[in-house]
Amino acid sequence: MLELDKFIEWIHSSLLYLIGLDWVVSLIEYVLIGVAFLSLYAVLALILIYVERKICAFFQCRLGPTRVGPWGLFQSIADMVKILLKEIIRIDKTDQLIFKVAPFIVIIGSFCTFGALQFGRGLHGVDFNVGLFYMLAISSLGVVGILLAGWASNNKYTLIGAMRSGAQLVSYELSAGISLLTMVIISGSLNLTDIIEGQANAWYIFQAPLPALIAFVIYLIAGHAETNRGPFDLPEAESELTAGYHTEYSGIQFGFFYLAEYLNMFIIAAIAATVFLGGWQPFHINADWAASFNGIMDCIPTWAWFFGKVFALIFLSLWVRWTFPRLRIDQLLKLEWKILMPISLVNLLLMAVWVLIF
Amino acid sequence: MEFLTAYLTANNIIFFILAAIILVFGFLSVTTTKILRAATYLFFVLFAIAGLYLLLTYEFIAAVQLSVYAGGIVVLLVFAILLVKNLGEETEKVSCQKKLVSAIAAISGVVISLVTLFGFGFQNNESADELTANVNMETIGHTLMGVEKYQYLLPFEAASVFLLACIIGSVVVATNLKKEDKK
Amino acid sequence: MIETLKDYYSGFAIMNQELTLVLVLIFVLLADLFLGEKGKKNLQFAAIGSFALATISGFTVSFGGSQEAFAGMYVTSDMHVLVKNILNIGTLLVFFFAHYWNKNENRNQSGEFYFLTLSTLLGMYLMVSSGNFILFYIGLETASIPMAALVAFNKKNRDSAEAAAKYILTAAFSSGVMLFGISLIYGSCGSLYFDEVANAFQGLPVQILAMVFFMAGMGFKISLVPFHLWTADTYQGAPTSVTAYLSVMSKGAAAFTFLCILFKAFHNYPEIWQNILWWIIVVTITVGNLFAIRQKNLKRFLAFSSISQAGYIMLGVISGSPLGMTSTVYYIFIYLFTNLAAFGIISNIENQTGKVGMDDYNGLYGTNPKSAFIMTLAMFSLGGIPPFAGFFSKFFIFAAAAEQGQYLLVFIALLNTIISLYYYLLVVKAMFINKSENPIPTIKSDNMSIIGLGICTIGILILGFISPIYEYMTSISFGM
Repeated sequence: MLELDKFIEWIHSSLLYLIGLDWVVSLIEYVLIGVAFLSLYAVLALILIYVERKICAFFQCRLGPTRVGPWGLFQSIADMVKILLKEIIRIDKTDQLIFKVAPFIVIIGSFCTFGALQFGRGLHGVDFNVGLFYMLAISSLGVVGILLAGWASNNKYTLIGAMRSGAQLVSYELSAGISLLTMVIISGSLNLTDIIEGQANAWYIFQAPLPALIAFVIYLIAGHAETNRGPFDLPEAESELTAGYHTEYSGIQFGFFYLAEYLNMFIIAAIAATVFLGGWQPFHINADWAASFNGIMDCIPTWAWFFGKVFALIFLSLWVRWTFPRLRIDQLLKLEWKILMPISLVNLLLMAVWVLIF
Repeated sequence: MEFLTAYLTANNIIFFILAAIILVFGFLSVTTTKILRAATYLFFVLFAIAGLYLLLTYEFIAAVQLSVYAGGIVVLLVFAILLVKNLGEETEKVSCQKKLVSAIAAISGVVISLVTLFGFGFQNNESADELTANVNMETIGHTLMGVEKYQYLLPFEAASVFLLACIIGSVVVATNLKKEDKK
Repeated sequence: MIETLKDYYSGFAIMNQELTLVLVLIFVLLADLFLGEKGKKNLQFAAIGSFALATISGFTVSFGGSQEAFAGMYVTSDMHVLVKNILNIGTLLVFFFAHYWNKNENRNQSGEFYFLTLSTLLGMYLMVSSGNFILFYIGLETASIPMAALVAFNKKNRDSAEAAAKYILTAAFSSGVMLFGISLIYGSCGSLYFDEVANAFQGLPVQILAMVFFMAGMGFKISLVPFHLWTADTYQGAPTSVTAYLSVMSKGAAAFTFLCILFKAFHNYPEIWQNILWWIIVVTITVGNLFAIRQKNLKRFLAFSSISQAGYIMLGVISGSPLGMTSTVYYIFIYLFTNLAAFGIISNIENQTGKVGMDDYNGLYGTNPKSAFIMTLAMFSLGGIPPFAGFFSKFFIFAAAAEQGQYLLVFIALLNTIISLYYYLLVVKAMFINKSENPIPTIKSDNMSIIGLGICTIGILILGFISPIYEYMTSISFGM
């Protein structure tokens, strides 16, 4: 299993011995943690891109990448090298500052969320008191970057794409937030550790089957819309808007948007897994006769549980993506404001009553 | 030297970095002539203020700052700017005289406030430190929804009516009457 | 569980008027939703009727002494109830005057008009009854931000949008300044409850700075002079009913709140704020009067007149005595009828002919004698000519200031009253003496505004002589 405690202890003590100054050691450690998260971020993106291409090929009865490496395994690495080496095209008559800053805002929004995710038992960056709220808050920053990118490109397609994306993200954040709030009622805490600990015996989705299931479905829909994919990919609807808000970007600047999009998919799935499916908690049946079953489940490492759940949810989202036709913008907003929002508000009430009664 | 080491704690260094960001971008956002740049700089200011709250371990307020200001208000601002015509235009240059007068007013205001604030000396309040050391969500929830002293149920409820009125008000301002007349 | 809930929410039990108003609010909202396009006419009656019932029910509330709820967050007493009742009467009158406008020009959004007006009224209630700066601030914002939407109601007129923009920008700036002041108060006193602030207030520089910032924010609301720059443009651009509402209710509620907070939170060091207020009053009355003389647009004219009237209201605040409170509330009460009468006439004429210029009123007596007569009454009363009600309110407020030895101030205010007589009589002269080739044609007022104008006229004519009103106010007022 991933026993990092001793390793971290060792790094800390040896750094202290070598340097001595407290704050310098802290600084170095922060940088190390940052580097660790960055590499995790990059590696996950590579895996996700490969997985997506394979799965989408599967849905379309194709083979997907096959040539670079066995089963095309190194395809995304080759793509990465390509995107890093590509020229960044400078566009005339744009606000260069905003044009360059926008991709960073997008990627900061999704990268900062990573810090609070819990990948396994004790395997997380920071444990905020208000972890869940923090993740919601910081992942909502990306939309600023998208809007700025769309405007700074000085192109009507990008602008339309950005406006659509802004409207979509801002609207769907509401029902995503409310459905998470529904689960906070049952967990009684915003702290991710507490939320996960509370699911040791039974995942929340089993603790309050009806409201939790409704919230789960709503969260998946809203989260899916927030990643701008699937039937909700209006911001970059390729048949109407070329590529939406990042049409004018090239090279690694485009890579940033691409990366953020994939990682947002991961983050949405991770939050759903954490709040509804017990995070890294193994599947337990809360009964005496199931003790041995629970014991077997415990043998699977916690990080494997976490990534398993997350990838299952990602598979679900890809499935949806390749199954449904694209919505129109008015249908999209109607779905949120007239259907999902009221349902999730009523569901919030239902959950409160449920918790009060049971 | 001792003075330096006493001041060079990690907390202080981070504070000064954040404060510099806030001041520089705040100044830029006021002085720039391009409206969307002003919004971008404002975004950085609000982001850095969230950092200040984190430094004080006010995690909840930091998250609120991020979601309400950086993620909410700036988005609305940018949205509004994008919806307005002629947004690429730069604002009019302000005349020198106006600049001078407003600079004098602003600087004298800052000086007066700073002199009185430093004259008061807020730092020696230990009980406040204890109070704010680790505010958990439960305390915040009870404070917002309680009816005892130092609890704020009534303003909380009043704020909800206030926000409803604001929503309706903004819808009124935004509705296009011409369309309705055509119908 | 029911028992604990009862304990928990028992604080709401003494908030009769607020709860009634919230009920009316919800009723209006639902009525607007369900009555639909065809029911617009009924909606007006539903809104005005339900609010009239709420106004009447407000007079049945009585506490005897001062009461607290939510551990001092909310404070009320007979005086607070009375002030809220006065605000109710004013709002009802504004509704009467706005009826015609809502029926024709504004018929698409009349529901929103009622809802927004009533929610600002709720904000004023909370502001008046607050015992804590937080509740006060939220009340203040509730009373000012939806107001900006009301100012912008006239979509066809660009002035309306400009007025709203000016209003909201100044409002945001001044409430920012005030919030900074409140945060300094919290930082230096350690509490936001008025009574605790009073105990902790030691007259330190930072606390004085905080108080000055706070006064600046209030100065905006009441449109006292260094903070009055928005007033004329906003009053001119806003729909006339909204202007009337803004000039009377918003101002009256803010003035009473200002008085309460000065009395409750800053009563240990009265000389500090009295000095500041002294200068503000002198400048406010003088500047308001001098600018009013030059105005050619009646709404602008009344804007400057209301600035100088605000200065007079502050005369009652500066005294800091029960007499001061009585005379302030009495002044607001009389000012309400007087100013609303003037605005009622203006809005009647503007709705039907679109004219608001001073020259347009030339020869009004020949075509619309009744309107000219009521306008004259209002002008006389605003100027403080006996035997109209305005004379009594000015007399009491001068008496309250003189009682505290503010002789110089009273003298300056008296001088200004004479100046103000000049320009109030200019309007009367235009209506009765000036000849016009193209006078305003005879207009037929709708029933609602006739009722409203009737009430105002009766108020101007006889309120000054009904001494029980003043005596009742004296019996329930309190000082520092």
